[in-house]
Amino acid sequence: MAVSTPADQQILDVGRRLLGALRPRTRGPVRAVDERAIDLTSRDPELRAAMLRLVDVAPGCRSPEDLAAHLIGFLGQVEHRPAALSLAMRMGDTRAGRTALGAAVAAGVRHVAHRFIVAQTPAGAERMLLELWGQGIATSVDLLGEATVTADEADRYARRCEEALRELASCYAKAPASPALERDSLGPIPRANLSVKVSGLTPLLRPQAPELGVQDAAARLRPLLRQARENGAHVHVDMESYDSRETVARLVLDLLGEEEFRDGPSAGVVLQAYLLDSPALAERLIGWAEASGRAQPLVVRLVKGAYWDHEVVDAAQHGWTPPVFAEKAQSDRNFEALTRRLLSARPHVRPAIATHNLRSVAHAIVANEAAGGDPGDVEFQVLYGLGDELMAALAGEGYRVRAYCPVGDLVAGMAYLVRRLLENTANEGFLRLQADGRPAEELLAAP
Amino acid sequence: MTDRETDPEPPLPFANEPLLELRREEVRESLLAAAGVLAERLPLRVPELISEERREGEDLVSSDPGEPALTVALAPIAGEAEVSRAIEAAAAYAPRWAAAPAPARAAALKAAAAHMRARREQLAALAVRECAKPWGEADADVAEAIDYLEYYARAALELTERTTLDVPGERNTMRWAARGVCAVIAPWNFPLAIPCGMLAAALATGNAAILKPAEQSPACGAAVVEALRAGGVPAAAIGLLHGEAEAGAALVSDPRVQTIAFTGSAEVGQAIIAAAAEVAEGQRDIKRVVSEMGGKNCIIVDSDADLDEAVPAIVRSAFAFAGQKCSAASRVLVHESIAGPAVERLAGAIATLQVGQAGSFATDVPPLIDAEAQQRVERYLRTGCAQGRLAAQSRGPLPAQGWFARPSLLTALPEDSALLHEEIFGPLLTVESVSGVQEALARVQRLPFALTGGLFCRNPRTVELVAARSPVGNLYVNRAITGAMVGRQPFGGNRLSGTGVKAGGPGYLLQFVDSHVLSENVTRHGLVV
Repeated sequence: MAVSTPADQQILDVGRRLLGALRPRTRGPVRAVDERAIDLTSRDPELRAAMLRLVDVAPGCRSPEDLAAHLIGFLGQVEHRPAALSLAMRMGDTRAGRTALGAAVAAGVRHVAHRFIVAQTPAGAERMLLELWGQGIATSVDLLGEATVTADEADRYARRCEEALRELASCYAKAPASPALERDSLGPIPRANLSVKVSGLTPLLRPQAPELGVQDAAARLRPLLRQARENGAHVHVDMESYDSRETVARLVLDLLGEEEFRDGPSAGVVLQAYLLDSPALAERLIGWAEASGRAQPLVVRLVKGAYWDHEVVDAAQHGWTPPVFAEKAQSDRNFEALTRRLLSARPHVRPAIATHNLRSVAHAIVANEAAGGDPGDVEFQVLYGLGDELMAALAGEGYRVRAYCPVGDLVAGMAYLVRRLLENTANEGFLRLQADGRPAEELLAAP
Repeated sequence: MTDRETDPEPPLPFANEPLLELRREEVRESLLAAAGVLAERLPLRVPELISEERREGEDLVSSDPGEPALTVALAPIAGEAEVSRAIEAAAAYAPRWAAAPAPARAAALKAAAAHMRARREQLAALAVRECAKPWGEADADVAEAIDYLEYYARAALELTERTTLDVPGERNTMRWAARGVCAVIAPWNFPLAIPCGMLAAALATGNAAILKPAEQSPACGAAVVEALRAGGVPAAAIGLLHGEAEAGAALVSDPRVQTIAFTGSAEVGQAIIAAAAEVAEGQRDIKRVVSEMGGKNCIIVDSDADLDEAVPAIVRSAFAFAGQKCSAASRVLVHESIAGPAVERLAGAIATLQVGQAGSFATDVPPLIDAEAQQRVERYLRTGCAQGRLAAQSRGPLPAQGWFARPSLLTALPEDSALLHEEIFGPLLTVESVSGVQEALARVQRLPFALTGGLFCRNPRTVELVAARSPVGNLYVNRAITGAMVGRQPFGGNRLSGTGVKAGGPGYLLQFVDSHVLSENVTRHGLVV
């Protein structure tokens, strides 16, 4: 069944309704300062670079003094320094000043990190996860970790994932029933949901030899799938950069196709709409899901993609055509086309629309209605800390929302945090445009 | 150059030849197909080329380092008579090639680049087979060869007449002229790129050239000469001789050779410089030697380094192509505060390395070039194990045949250990714990080599400090220390690592030309005319 392109007027109406429902949660003084800081840095590229580099190095510094030395080094490369930062540089003249400055910066970085990182461990996240559940919001927990470069590290990551599955199952066993989050017209939906990174499961990711990574990661992913089946949990395998795309796709489809996983667990993959060849991958996933004969639908999380800058730089350094769309609007248009394609692939596929872009969300709502789906037949996903207002609004309107919740310590979370900050300070980003107070017609215009 | 003709259409600005996108399956399949075609043609019969003369022979045999029983190429060895005739032919033709308009020479180089570009897969397959370069490295070698042709073709066009300081009544200009015959003595580790770069520089500036490729890679050397001739470089302007040390020594010591371009070991390089300093009876030039030699390359890891990035980059720098690059990492100097996790993670990463045949896309570490290299590496490994601690080795069995050596990590070596001072040119890496960047720099400064170096550090002031104090020719910060790109990272070492000229950079061509200054009085009877 093909899903037709919805009329822009309908999308605008739904979008306006959601926009009206977006309420800043708690715009306390601290959050206002955060937003001013992000706003300030996102307008000056040098300052933005300095801030990102500072956040990046913070957990790697030996002492507050060392951190202050880095701050001063980074600020030395910024031409137009706001007054407050010039003051900071002067503090660096004395040892006591450096210690105080370093301590302040460390506290600042921790503070920023806490906005995006839920807790240090899944057990520590329990209160927050149940609180979200109470607000009508499901989660997918992502275990932040250092890069996996050794077999031991891959084993350790796999063990953490297994523990997390058990802990999430026990956490959500305490949750009250929430029918909208636990079932759609395709069937039951697990409460506990873990996102897993293949780069964590193997040190053998080789873009030119996907079979190597598939084989090595498979040995660690199989026990995880068994664990998830036992706990009735969902395992979602994340996508990362294009270099590992084929490995991830092959791994997931190979394993889920194995006889022992026919009846479970529920599992899913990610489709990145910024990739030029994402329509081909969509067809491959859908074709596989239709033929697989698995008990549960394949969950496909549709995202724009978080590695755009990396892909463009990497391609430029090698002389390649980037694998991603050059213009944001092209990705946005492709996102809408893929939304419709995934909606049309039910019941074999369970689509999850993961975006903070209100237009993309409104489009999916209207397209789902047009396809005759119940409002609960399409899931929305947002990032914890970035899409808080949107998830509250969607939950309030009765849609199924899942928050992607990173869990882990600050050192391990740095790569994640830097990507989120990049996203938050990108000039073209929807959140930035929204924060700028652009009119609804502009925010909701067809890409 | 003396001619003032300008190219009617100036070439597009230089851009590096894109690498093949090996992450795409169809690209990998095209390479495997090329390897299949090559396998059918073995052994290749590689000729000696002197002007239009072509001689075949079977004295020199190159074999697949991963399958030593398999002959890749057969070539004739040049004796004294052949060396002498090749030089005679080159010397006779050199003035005509020098007189050709610079754009015509540049056009021949660019056509040679196009010839190679049309044979990307075949050339890569040859380097995989003859030198056991894994696909990614072999393809990069082809791309670099093309880069040199394109880069020096453009650079030679810019080497036109230049005005120096003028005062009234005086016209001063500076010009450059080819030096004559250039002997090119090339290594096997970049079997296409390095001979191609040295030849391209000599030819672009109007010299005649004779290539003697390494005895391990005659077929790759021949492929470069073939491309240049196909591009339009006259047969008499470029010769090809094969052989071992004797052929090279005969070329170097001949009084009719004006320039020697060499890349290889420090030992041979120094012998060439010494031999070139001898002025024979009747010799009219002081020979000029462009020499790129070895390294003992250190990577400094400061306390604020991100090990997530440093560990894979160090492993790649040390073990890609089994460490057989002059730029490869050999010593890691790590801040004591993170030495524990750094060694643990390096050890774990090395344990995962895939040792295997170069033709497999999954291979990280291929075999060494020959039995001698294997014995040398084993010797260093034994010494290292006796003097220090073997912290890690790759796991899994080594292939039954082939000159394989196990990637290894050694720590706790005494300061005077040979492993910390001599170039090993194999898959051995050492780690030393240091009190800080200052101590690391002091250790780097004590080395006689100064080719490449690395630094992992996120403090801009420390980066500046190391950049100012490190003697190395190429310093890489927060990235792998191999893989210099033409035009982007002009490459060459200082101290005993080389004569200091940067290949693939501005100034390289000046080594292949003589300069002439013309100062003309333009006054007559007190008037400026």
